[in-house]
Amino acid sequence: MENSIKIHQGAVVCTECDLKGDITIGKNTVVHPKAQIIAEAGPIIIGENNLIEEQAAIVNKFPASQESTGNATVMIIGNNNVFEVDCHSEALKIGDQNVLESKCLVGRKVELTNGCIVGAHCRLVSEECLPENTVIYGDNCSRRQQADRPPPQTLQIDFLTKVLPNYHHLYKPNLKD
Amino acid sequence: MAFLMYGDPKVKYLCSCGSMKPISRIYFCRHCMKIKCGFCVSHEVDLHYCSNCLENLPSTEARLKKNRCGYCFDCPSCQISLNTRAVSQAVPNPDDPSKMLSKKSYYLVCAFCRWTSREASIPDQNVANGGWPEIDCPNSKRVAELVDHYQEISLQEKDEEERKKKYQVRPSYFHYAEKYGLSAALAKKRMGGTPQRETRTQQSALVPAVASEEVEELSDSVFIEQLELNKVTTIKQRLASPEIQPTVVSQLYPLHKSLLVKRSLRCRDCEHNVSKPEFNPSSTKFKIQLSAFYHVPDVKFLTCEPVFIGKRSELIITVCNPTQHQSSFKMHPFELNLGAKGSGDAEESAPGLKLCLPECARDAQFKINGTIKLPTTEFQLLPRDDTAEFDDSNKGPTFNDDPKVVVWRRGNKIALRMAVSPDADAEGVLSIGFVIEYSYVNTMTTLEKKEPQKVKLKTHILLRPGPIFKSSQ
Repeated sequence: MENSIKIHQGAVVCTECDLKGDITIGKNTVVHPKAQIIAEAGPIIIGENNLIEEQAAIVNKFPASQESTGNATVMIIGNNNVFEVDCHSEALKIGDQNVLESKCLVGRKVELTNGCIVGAHCRLVSEECLPENTVIYGDNCSRRQQADRPPPQTLQIDFLTKVLPNYHHLYKPNLKD
Repeated sequence: MAFLMYGDPKVKYLCSCGSMKPISRIYFCRHCMKIKCGFCVSHEVDLHYCSNCLENLPSTEARLKKNRCGYCFDCPSCQISLNTRAVSQAVPNPDDPSKMLSKKSYYLVCAFCRWTSREASIPDQNVANGGWPEIDCPNSKRVAELVDHYQEISLQEKDEEERKKKYQVRPSYFHYAEKYGLSAALAKKRMGGTPQRETRTQQSALVPAVASEEVEELSDSVFIEQLELNKVTTIKQRLASPEIQPTVVSQLYPLHKSLLVKRSLRCRDCEHNVSKPEFNPSSTKFKIQLSAFYHVPDVKFLTCEPVFIGKRSELIITVCNPTQHQSSFKMHPFELNLGAKGSGDAEESAPGLKLCLPECARDAQFKINGTIKLPTTEFQLLPRDDTAEFDDSNKGPTFNDDPKVVVWRRGNKIALRMAVSPDADAEGVLSIGFVIEYSYVNTMTTLEKKEPQKVKLKTHILLRPGPIFKSSQ
């Protein structure tokens, strides 16, 4: 598998993170050290202003039934999403302003629309499309629909874009707008 | 520690009331030198406090506020404490409309399920604490009527009772009066010397509730419209606010946080405290805490070979002396005649036992389906010494132990080897018991006895080492 990593101007991607395959990272997105983005079964396109924290894994991998053959499937992640520490996402389509909290697991057949929150340690592996603003929380993965979307983490992203370069080596952005 | 607190414990002690409890759940009354448990001590509420803001409230105020905190809220959606979140908004300056002022407003938000008070259409507040609008409970008037009515009745009954017992020794009613919120009224009466005997006519004639068979018809929308599960509340959410019982999510309203209590426990025989917490709500310490694991030898289960019917298995237990004094112990076979016991803790167990457990449960908990070969010698245990663990010089006294019985010795701890065998018809989990007779130094000084006295105490212990297998293959 050949690595082809395209990083837009303004994105902060630390070199200690694990990037494999064809990956595009949008403007102002922050990828922490030790995050994993693995594009094994097809390219991964990540939008703008996303926050991908330590040990978060975004994996585009072949389903168990088909081994390394078949057509490439593209994984698309929108804007303003937050992938918290140690979350694991294989969802092929993620919209905008979603939050994947710590240690949650989102399966390949799940589609997150906009403003969804997958709570800490919640597992979501069935085939479904979450309606907008769904919150999944608690031991039993209770669901509710909330009125407004989680606010974008602009302040945090601004802070990290200032601080991370002081302590980590970064990938050079290679795409201009 | 979890195995001590939860699940089915492997070692249980017999309380003086007759119930079997793990050592973490029992107390040792130093005055009557008996084991006590939560069932057989009197519980007294020391203070009410809110676990969120740690404010303590006197009991009258707590009752007035329905045992809930006035400032803290629980999430109506997931019952976790709500946080206050501040947002600043730009509003035009009233003096100079061309300029904008930033104004802070506050709303409640749940960090867990992301419920916000905006979803209940509660307007944002200008102050961080309090001032949240209260919801009117539809039955509040009726409930208040009923409470008044029953208060009147209980007062009346008390009057009558007192009249009857005029020439008898009067017990204190304060306990009950406190319960029904009548202490003020009673105290007033007592101060007046002779109780006024005005006949209380029932002031408010209460309209009794009428049961009806007719139920309102369901509206058509119930049958026509598709059910949206996201908009319907769960049973748990409805029961959390019994006064309004919301059926749809938009009716959810912040719940005032329930107050917690700190309670002290008192031995029923000698009326001394066995547990008394510090008064400060933020402190988790105790003024008095006579937990059994500070006084009674701590028997712990170490290992046991798999138990087969018709075969002997080796069982190793440890016994630990938690006290500051040297102690000795001896083991005796478990006796079951609880009612007519000559000596020991269970002496007066019969009445207490009746209080707390039904008869079938009482017998079932003493079910013994195996035999244990107990050592006949007496064992000495050193006093507890916290520094001994870090002292490698091992200069403690040596004991003349039988190596067949004593596996090892470490400070105040001893490991004993014993043989267990299940009964021929036993099934399920092996349950064996023994009585441990130990010497205890009581440092409690009384008027008669100033010197610490050394006494012999007996405690019944039940062990459940593990499942019984049918045959050894």
